[in-house]
Formats: sequence, structure tokens, C-alpha cells
Amino acid sequence: MSVLTEMFRNLFSRPVTILYPAEKVPVPPGFRGKVTIADEKCIGCSKCSVVCPARCITMTDSPREVEFKGKNLARKKKPRVKLYKCIRCGLCERHCPADAIHLTGEPASCGPSREEVTA
Amino acid sequence: MNDILYLVLYVLVFPGFLFLLGYALFLEFIDRRITARMQHRVGPPWYQPLADFIKLLGKEVIDPAGIDRKIFDAAPLIALAAVMTAFIYVPVIGGSPLAFEGDLVLALYLLAVPTIMLFLLGWLSRNVYAAMGGVRAVTQLFIYEVPFFLALLTPALMAGSWSVSVIAEWQQQHLWFALLQPIGFIVALIGLQAKLERPPFDIPEAETEIVAGPWTELTGRRLAVMHLAEDVALVTGCGLVVALFLGGPLLPWDVGPAWLFGIAGFFIFVAKTLCILLILSAIKAATGRIRIDQLNDVGWKYIASAAILQVAVVFVMMSAGVIS
Amino acid sequence: MSKVVIPVGPQHPALKEPVNFRVIADGEKIVQLELDLSYNHRGIEKAAESRDFIRVLPLLERVCGICSHSHATAFAKGIEELMQVTIPPRAQYIRTIVAELERMHSHLLWLGVAAHEVGFNTLFMWTWRDREAVQDMLEEISGNRVHYNMNEIGGVRRDISAGEVASILKRLPVLEERIAEYVKMAAGQKTMLMRFCGVGKLSRAEILKYGAVGPTARASGVDYDTRKDDPYLVYDQIPWKVVTENDGDVYGRTKVRIGELSESLGMVRYCLENLPEGQIRTTAPKAAPSGEILSRYEAPRGELVHFIRTNGTDKAERLDIRTPTLANWTSVAAALVGRNLADIPVIVAAIDPCLSCTSRMTIVDQDKNEQRTLPVASLRPGNTGRKEGGLFS
Repeated sequence: MSVLTEMFRNLFSRPVTILYPAEKVPVPPGFRGKVTIADEKCIGCSKCSVVCPARCITMTDSPREVEFKGKNLARKKKPRVKLYKCIRCGLCERHCPADAIHLTGEPASCGPSREEVTA
Repeated sequence: MNDILYLVLYVLVFPGFLFLLGYALFLEFIDRRITARMQHRVGPPWYQPLADFIKLLGKEVIDPAGIDRKIFDAAPLIALAAVMTAFIYVPVIGGSPLAFEGDLVLALYLLAVPTIMLFLLGWLSRNVYAAMGGVRAVTQLFIYEVPFFLALLTPALMAGSWSVSVIAEWQQQHLWFALLQPIGFIVALIGLQAKLERPPFDIPEAETEIVAGPWTELTGRRLAVMHLAEDVALVTGCGLVVALFLGGPLLPWDVGPAWLFGIAGFFIFVAKTLCILLILSAIKAATGRIRIDQLNDVGWKYIASAAILQVAVVFVMMSAGVIS
Repeated sequence: MSKVVIPVGPQHPALKEPVNFRVIADGEKIVQLELDLSYNHRGIEKAAESRDFIRVLPLLERVCGICSHSHATAFAKGIEELMQVTIPPRAQYIRTIVAELERMHSHLLWLGVAAHEVGFNTLFMWTWRDREAVQDMLEEISGNRVHYNMNEIGGVRRDISAGEVASILKRLPVLEERIAEYVKMAAGQKTMLMRFCGVGKLSRAEILKYGAVGPTARASGVDYDTRKDDPYLVYDQIPWKVVTENDGDVYGRTKVRIGELSESLGMVRYCLENLPEGQIRTTAPKAAPSGEILSRYEAPRGELVHFIRTNGTDKAERLDIRTPTLANWTSVAAALVGRNLADIPVIVAAIDPCLSCTSRMTIVDQDKNEQRTLPVASLRPGNTGRKEGGLFS
């Protein structure tokens, strides 16, 4: 009987389905999405590349002066993330000493060009 | 001359085949929409059944190895033709002009044709799921057909006619049969649900057990036509129940000119079929699928006995002169 | 009809993952059943042996999409025991909260699937709608809907803020109401009762004989729950009780699962309200001393066992995972013979099988009484050696 009452209650109330491309579900704060790298903070320590379970972070040459804990460091490399390989576990964010790599609320991107799928 | 033109228009355009096909797709949409809303979903847009039909027409037809192609092509068409013919005898805008004494029996037999075609398709498609489904379809036919026939024949007994249109007219002067024979009405609804193979009687095409039953090997236009036949059977079945139990498209009093009477009758027909459909959709949404052995139990023990009880009650009522 | 062979699987609408039943049916009755497992061997155990303890946890979460937290916790728990690290109470509470939320979403998912198997799609839609609420909570806590990644060796990765606690506590009553509704529906829905009652019946003795675990065992009156019998996390500190039923059939398993839903909800509420202050992790050493450990964990489907052998490095030397589905398979095969063909999806779904998690490649030859593993070459396409691999062939 409870099935019938609920059925007819549903019949006259708004459906819960979200029509995806038109409406989108809000993402809660702290959602693990696309990876971004703050270039001015990265000290090129390679820690993210070491802990990445999917091995999607490679270190590329990018010499630059970075300020880290009040000292100026000369970094040699910076990470490059293959986003299509990334499993969004957030271990890079957890182990980064310089707070330079972050997972944002943006969903994973896909695209035909290399720029769109690397960070 | 005018008579013949009227008849041709009646059969081919309105309220015959053209209207029937449109209305069949419309009822499928309503059915899917109501079910979806009861499940708290949005459901498809209004053109979805038509879009499905056109898409399926364009798809490749795949022949399973070793089948008889001619029968495979013909069976869905025969099923569709049978249920469309049955609809001619259903009163839509007043009594059918083609009505004759005994058209009720003809319509009932024509409505059984799709099931037999499904069995043929299942048996011939050389697929174990399809064969299984075909056997189940026929087993189910033997279970629901007896109470369904008995339930639909009791109005005929009381009205003293074997013509659907005459029975509908009889109710114009008396009460609706749904009120006079409530048990028969319920049995007819259950039988109709079983005939249309909708839950809880979708045993022949049980998705999680035998994939799609006899439908498994149907592809392309065969599947499209078979689906259409099922939709048309839904309209014909609803129309028959409306005519036999809810007084058909007729108003209890006479209004003005014949054309106004026809238009009013049409809207009454639509409203009543939608009501029947709402009941059928609610049953569909509120139940799971039962097993064939359980259906055998329930069908013969309760539904058939209820139908026989209704026939007995009708005889008592008639001999007691409750209804003149 | 005479006897026919009906292949159910590896691809079949009733099965969400590949497994093969060769059903020999006499009309609608099953006379013989052959079960063939392991279509989805993924080599996760081997892969886990080559990753250090930080990187292995995300991999282990991917053993199963539904009980991802279970696998990670079972492993982390074992390694922490080997390292003799005690994790802070707040971390234990957070692990418990995620574990119980996971159990709730798994049981709601199961209820929907079971309803779908008997063609009752309305309940399927409703439970999955309500499951969304649990998933939203998990997403809020962990940042993801499926792979929560909450564990690390020595604690948890994320804290639950006061705001999150309040927002989840506010949403729990709605869920509680829904669960009460499902209790009513399970008891009152006629067609579902017809399909569930008396189907797949296993007595207490049979359950013990076949070694079934989890809700399958508890529905037959076997009072076995790792959370009670071998407490871990905070299960010995919070109020809850083991749900058992004596029906032994699919209906009993439904009742057990719905009962566990409200138990889990109570546990989540208690943990959130009594969340202790403090650290969420301690620093664990990088490498574990050499040793062996058997880590037991009550996953939503039953007892999950991780056997871990370490050799003093930061990697496990051997990891062996015994999923609850493997323990339950034999009971399914026993319950199916003699039943109606239409009962296959119901009985199979009743143990909530998770097939890809179960796939292992060990050949046991019953006749010759020998056991061997396959060489890599025989795993190439077209040469699977599967003919001899069936459990009951």
C-alpha cells in the first residue's frame, strides 16, 4: 500500500532527475577534480611525481627562481600532469611541500589538443 | 456512393488506421511518461515513440542463421494487421458502421493473434531464450485467455448481443457494466494486462531471465512493426474494455446534431481510454514480475474462479429480472 | 520441452559483470548447474606487490567500486598492525563513518538491483534515488563519490569539519524516514514477497557447511559479523547490534540488509555526534617490519580478508585478497539446483555478487587433487585454459 501512495505522490511532484547538460549538480567544496599547478610556488622537488599511483606526472625542464619559506631557490624542473591518465586520488596535493599542486572543483577535461589534457 | 466514401474514410483515416497508429504511439508515450513520473523520473518527450519507430525502421535487419525469412518477415505484419482489424469494431465516435452480430468474438480472436505470432517467432528463431519465451507466451495465453474471454462475454450475455457497438448502446439506456459487474471489470483489466504482457505478467519477455524472450532475435523493421502491433493492441484492448464496461463513447442522453454527438463521443473515448491506461500503468509500476508457475496458480485458482462467479451472478441477476 | 542447455552469461542482462552459468533445464526447472568464474582477472594482487604503501592504497580501492573503502581499510589496518602504529581516535571515527556510509550505499544499491531482478523497476528507481543522498554525503566528506581515498597508513587524509558534521546530521532524518518506508514496502509488496519468500533457502547447517559470510549467513541465523567477533576501528565502543533473521531465504537477506541500513545510520549518527577532537593521523614509518598478517574486515557483502606478507621494505611481498563473494558462491550453486529458471537472477543477486573483485587465476583440479597457477603465456587471447578452470566443471 505504501508503494501506491508513494507512486501517486510522485506523480504530482517534481521529478528528481537532473537533465544533465541543461542543469548541473553543484560540486561540494573539497571535490577532487582537475589538477592545477601554481607555477610561482613549485620548487620542483619531484615529490608529486614519486607518489603518483598512476604515474601521470612527469618532470619537465623549467628553470626559475622560487621563494620557499622565506628563501629564494633556483628550481630546475616542474611537473607536467597527463590529465587523461590522472585518477584524481589527490596524493600529489597531500605530499606537496610547497602547496603548489591542487585539485580543483572543475571536472576532468577532455579535448583534441595536448594543452587541454595536460596541466 | 457517399456511404462507401464514408466507410473508406472511416476505415483508413478517422477513426480508422491513420488515427489508430497516431493514437497508439500517443498512448505509448503517455504510458511511459506516467510510469516515469511514478518512479520519480522525467520520462521521454512526446515524440519519443515515433522517433524510436523511425529509428528502428532504418536499422539493419539481421537474419539469425537458419531461420525461415518469409515467416520472420510476415509474422510481425500479420500481428499488426490482426490488431488493426480488431480496432475497426471498437466504437470510437458512436457505434462502428461495420458492426455485425458477433464482432466481439472476432475482435477477441484477432487480439490473440500477436501472442501466437510471438510464439512462432520465438520457436523459429533458433535461439534458446526466444524458444523459452515463446513457450512461456503460449503457456500464459492458456492461463489468462479463459478468464479474459469470460469477463468480456458477460456484458454480451446481459445485453443480449454479440456486437460491441450494441453492448455500448445498451449501457446508454442502463447502467455501465463496470458498476453492474465489478468483478468482471477487474478480471478484464487483469486479463488485458496479461494479454499485453506488461508487469506483473511480462513473463515471456522477462529481461533478467531470458534476455527478451521471443523478441531477442527481432531486429530493424521487424522489431519496429512488432512494437507498433503491441501499441495498437494496447489501444484496441483499452477501447474494448471502455466499450464493454464503461459505456463506450456514448453519452447517456442525446445531444443535438450527429456531428456534435460524434465529437463529444470522440473526446469521451479518449478520456476513458486514458483512465484505463492510468490503471494499467499503475499496475505496471506497482508490481514485480511473477513466475510462470505462480501465474498458473493465481490464474486458475482465483482469476478464473472470479470470472466464473461473475457469469453465475449474471445468470442469477437475469433470471431474477434485476435488469430488464 | 526436453532438457536444454541455457547459457546464462558471460553476457546476460541479469548479470552486471561476467560470470557463466551453464544451466541445464528441464522446461523451467534447473536440473544441473555449472559455474564458471574468473572472466575478469586484472592482476591487482600482483600490481600491489610493486607499489609502496602510499601508492598501493588508491590501487586497492579499485579492487571494487562499491566497497572501495573496505579494501583500503583492510589493507591499512593490517599494515598498521604490523608496524605497531595506533591511529588516533578521531581517525578511527572518521574511518568508521565512511565505512558505514559505504555500507548504506551498498545495501541501497543492492535493494534496487534485487527489485530490478524481479522486474519491480519502481523500487529500483526509488532506492537509487535515495542512494544519491548517501553518495552526496560521501562526496562532501571525501571529495569523491566512488573512490573516497580517505585512508593512509597512520590515519586518514581528510578531516571532517564542524560544518560538514552539521550538514550530514541534518540530512540523516530524511534518509531514516526512507529506510522506515522500505521496511514497510518489503513487508507489504505482494509480488516481491511471492518472488523472495522461500527462494534460495539455505539452512543454518548449510551456511556453515559452505562457509557463507555476511548478510547471506546472517539471514540464516548465523550470528557472525567481523565487527562483533573481531572488533576493529571503534565497533566495540559504539552502540549497535548484529542483525540476524531466521528465514534463510532471499526475503530474509532483504530484511537483514534493510535492518543493517538503519543500524549503519545509527552508527553514523553516533560517530558524528561523538567525534573526538585531536589529530587525524600519526606519522607512520615508511617501511614495515617483515611479518605476516591476516586482516579481517566486515565489508557490506560479508567478511573480507587481506593476507599481507611484508619483508622489511616499503612494499608488500605478497597480498592475497579473499572477497566475500568468493565465500558465498558455493552457497548460490547449492541453492539453485532444483529451483525454477526464473529464480536464477534473484538467488544470484541475493548474495550481492561482486565478480571482478573475485576473479583469481588458480586452477584446482578436484579429480587429481592438485592446485596450480597459470603461466603468463596461457593467458594470451584464445588460450585461456578456462575449460578446466570452472569451479564445478
